[in-house]
Amino acid sequence: MSRRPTAFDLGQVRYEPEELYPEAEAEEETAMLKGMVVAIDGRGWNRHWLTVFFAGLAGLILLAAGLAIDSLIRELFVRSDVLGWLGSVLTAVTVAALLVVGGREIAGLLRLRRVNHIHARALEAANADNRDAAVTVLREMNALYRRRPETAKGRAALARHRGEIIDGRDLLGLAETELLLPFDDAARRMVMASARRVTLVTAISPRALVDLLFVGAEILRLVRRLAILYGGRPGAIGFYRLARATIGHLAVTGGIAAGDSIVQQIVGHGVAARLSARLGEGVVNGMLTARVGIAAIEVCRPLPYITGAPPRLSDVLAALKPAAEAGAR
Amino acid sequence: MQLTTITDETRLALTTFGERARGLVTPAVRLGVTGLTHAGKTVFITALVHNLVHGGRLPMFRAYASGRVTGAALEPQPDDSVPRFDYEQHVDALVSARIWPDSTRQISELRLTVRYESASFLGRTIGSGKLHIDIVDYPGEWLLDLPLLGKSYADWSASAITKADTAGHRALASSWLARLVGVDPRAPENETTARELSAAFTAYLRGLRALDGAIATEPPGRFLMPGDLDNSPALTFCPLPNVGPGEPQGSLARMMERRYESYKSVVVRPFFRERFARLDRQIVLVDVLTALNGGPQAIAELEDALSGILACFRLGRTGWLSGLVSRRIDRILFAATKADHLHHGDHDRLEAILSRIVARAVQRAKFVGAKVEVLALASVRATREASVTTAGETLPSIIGVPLPGEKIDGRSFDGSTEVALFPGDLPDDAAKAVSAGAPPVDVRFVRFRPPKLERTAEDLTLSLPHIRLDRALEFLLGDKLA
Repeated sequence: MSRRPTAFDLGQVRYEPEELYPEAEAEEETAMLKGMVVAIDGRGWNRHWLTVFFAGLAGLILLAAGLAIDSLIRELFVRSDVLGWLGSVLTAVTVAALLVVGGREIAGLLRLRRVNHIHARALEAANADNRDAAVTVLREMNALYRRRPETAKGRAALARHRGEIIDGRDLLGLAETELLLPFDDAARRMVMASARRVTLVTAISPRALVDLLFVGAEILRLVRRLAILYGGRPGAIGFYRLARATIGHLAVTGGIAAGDSIVQQIVGHGVAARLSARLGEGVVNGMLTARVGIAAIEVCRPLPYITGAPPRLSDVLAALKPAAEAGAR
Repeated sequence: MQLTTITDETRLALTTFGERARGLVTPAVRLGVTGLTHAGKTVFITALVHNLVHGGRLPMFRAYASGRVTGAALEPQPDDSVPRFDYEQHVDALVSARIWPDSTRQISELRLTVRYESASFLGRTIGSGKLHIDIVDYPGEWLLDLPLLGKSYADWSASAITKADTAGHRALASSWLARLVGVDPRAPENETTARELSAAFTAYLRGLRALDGAIATEPPGRFLMPGDLDNSPALTFCPLPNVGPGEPQGSLARMMERRYESYKSVVVRPFFRERFARLDRQIVLVDVLTALNGGPQAIAELEDALSGILACFRLGRTGWLSGLVSRRIDRILFAATKADHLHHGDHDRLEAILSRIVARAVQRAKFVGAKVEVLALASVRATREASVTTAGETLPSIIGVPLPGEKIDGRSFDGSTEVALFPGDLPDDAAKAVSAGAPPVDVRFVRFRPPKLERTAEDLTLSLPHIRLDRALEFLLGDKLA
C-alpha cells in the first residue's frame, strides 16, 4: 500500500456528509431514468421474432384505428360542420385521456420496479453489512416516501442517523423501524380485516359461487391496497404483475409459512369443521386470504425483514375464529 | 489456574446470595469495564452515563430508542467503602474544558438507575421497572496484577527478569539489573537491601509506564500508585534471579517471597474478589490503534497482557438455581476504542485485527456458553469525516483538533487548529498485521481533543457524540431491559 499517512489543512478538504447525501432533488429523476433502462436478456430468436410480429401487428391495428377515426371525422364534416367539430373534440379528449392513462401505467410500473430494486439492493446490503450500499438504499427509500407526509418524522430521524457511523445492517434495521413500522401495522390490520370478512361471508353465504367470487374480489382488493400502502398505486399492468409475483411468492414460500405449524392449522380446521361445515370452509377461505395477504406484504414491502418479523398465520388465525363463530351462529 | 481459595468462594457465594435476594426487588447488573492503561475506561463510563441521563442519540439501543426507558439517574452506590466515580468532574472536563479525563489513580464506583417499562406483560406486572447498573472504574495498571494470583514467586521472578532483559526494556531496567548482580538470594535477609532493590525496581516500572505509547505496564501495579500502603513490607520486594521453590529460612529470597505472597493476599486477592469475580457483564476496552502505532512488538505485548487478564474472567452461563449463589459473565464485549481516529471504511479491519488479538479468549468464552461480540467503538467521537483529493487520489480522512504537542509528518500541532488527517490504511489481512516479524503497518494516529458540543437555543447541552456506543449498550444491557 502506497498511501502514506498525511495531514492536510482544512482548505484542501471536501466535506463528505454533503457529498454523500445531496438533497434529494434530482434524485427521483435519476431513479426514474435508471428504472427505465430495460434489461435485455438473451431471449431465443423465436421469441424475438414473435415480439417483432406482435409489434408490427399492433402498429397495423393502430394505423387502422387512426384511419377509421380520420375517415369518421371527414364524413362527419361532410354531413355537418358542428358534428365534425364535435367528433374532433371527442377524439382529442380520448387521445388525451389515453395518454394520461398510459402515463399512469408507466409510472405505476416504474414505482413497482423501484420498490423491487430497493428490496434487492437492501437485501444485498444487509447480507454484506455494507454501509455505503445501505446509505444508497436509505436515500432511495427517502425519495420513495417523500410525498407521504405520515413518514415525515421517520424520514427526519433517518436523516439524523445517516450522519452517524452505523453499520449497514443496523442502518437498514433503523430504516425499517423508523419508516415501515406504521405501514407494517396497517398492513397487518388490513390482512386481518380481509380474512375476517372472507370468513364471515363464506360462513353465511347461500351459494358456493357467491363466496368464490367474493374471495377472489377480496384478495385482489387486498393486494391492491397493500401495494398502495407500501409504494403507491401500481396501475393496471403493474397490478397484474404484482398479483403474478404474489402468487409466485406464495407458491415458493406459502406452502408452509415460516414459524407456523401445519399440525396446528389442520387441527384448528378440524375442530372448526366439526362444529359446522360452513364454518370450516370459512376458516379455510380466511386462511387462504391471509396467506395471500402475507405473501403480498412480502412482495410489496421495499425492505426485507431485518429487525421486524413478518406477520404469522397463527396471529391471523386467532383473529379468524371469533368471526367464523359469529357467522355460524 | 487456581485464583481463589475455598474461603473466597464461600464469601463470594454468600455475597451473591444476598445480592440476588435484594435483586428480587430491584434487579442490579454489575457491568465490568476493563482495559489496560489509556484504553478509555473512564471516558467510556462517562459517555455511557451522560448519554443515558441526557437522552443521547442511541438508535441501536432498542429499549431506549423505542421509548420504553423513561429516565436514568445516578443513585447512591451500594458499597460505602469505595469512592464514588467523579462523573460530574469528568463530564465537565470533557464538555467545558475539552480535555480528556486524567488517568485513573484509584478505584471508584457508580450506580446508575434506569427506569423503564418492560415490553412483556409479565415483566410489566411483576418487575419493578427499575434496573440498577453498577459500574466500577479502576486503574488499568491493577489489572496486570491478576495473573500474579496463579504464579509463584519463583515463576514470577524468572519471567519478570527475562522480560526486563528484552530489547524494549533493557535501557530502563539497566540500573535495577545492575543492582541485582551483586545480590545473593540466599544471603540473610536485610531490610536495607530489600528497600534499595525495591526502589530500583519501582523506578524501572515507572519508567515503563512513562514510555511514549506504552501498551502494558509490568506488575505489580500497586508499586506505581501505592496509596496508604507506601513503604509497607507488602510493597517492598522485587524479583530475584535464580530463586527456586524452597529457599532457606531467613534468607533474602524467603523474605521477598513472603512479601510477594502478602502483596497477593492484601492487594490482589481482595481486588479480584470484591470487583472482578462479581460481574454479570463485561466490556474489554482495547486500544488497538496505539499498539498498531507501536509496531509488531507492541501488538505482541498487548496480546500477551490481554491473554493473562482474560484468563481471570469468570465466564459462562448460570442456571436459575446455581445463579443464586454464583455470578458468571454471560456476555463479554471486546471493543477497539478510539475508532473515531479512523475513517469508518477501516472499522471492519480494525474489528478484524482485534478479533485476531483476542481470538483465544473469544474461543474460550464461546466454549463455556458466554456470548461474545467484537466492535470498533468510540465512546466520545472527537472527529468528523471528510475526503481529501490530492495528486489525483481521494483519501478518506478525518477532521479534528489534535491535542497540543501531537506530531505527524514532522508537523506539530498547537491544540487549537483543526486539521484533516489521513491516518493510513489498515491492512486487509488481520493475520498479517498481528503476526510477529510482520512489516510495521504504515499508520499514524494522533490524539484529538474532545469535540465541541453544540448548544441548542435553550442553552441545553446536547449529548456526547459517539460511534457504536448504542450497539455496545444493546449487547451488554439490552436483554436486561427487555
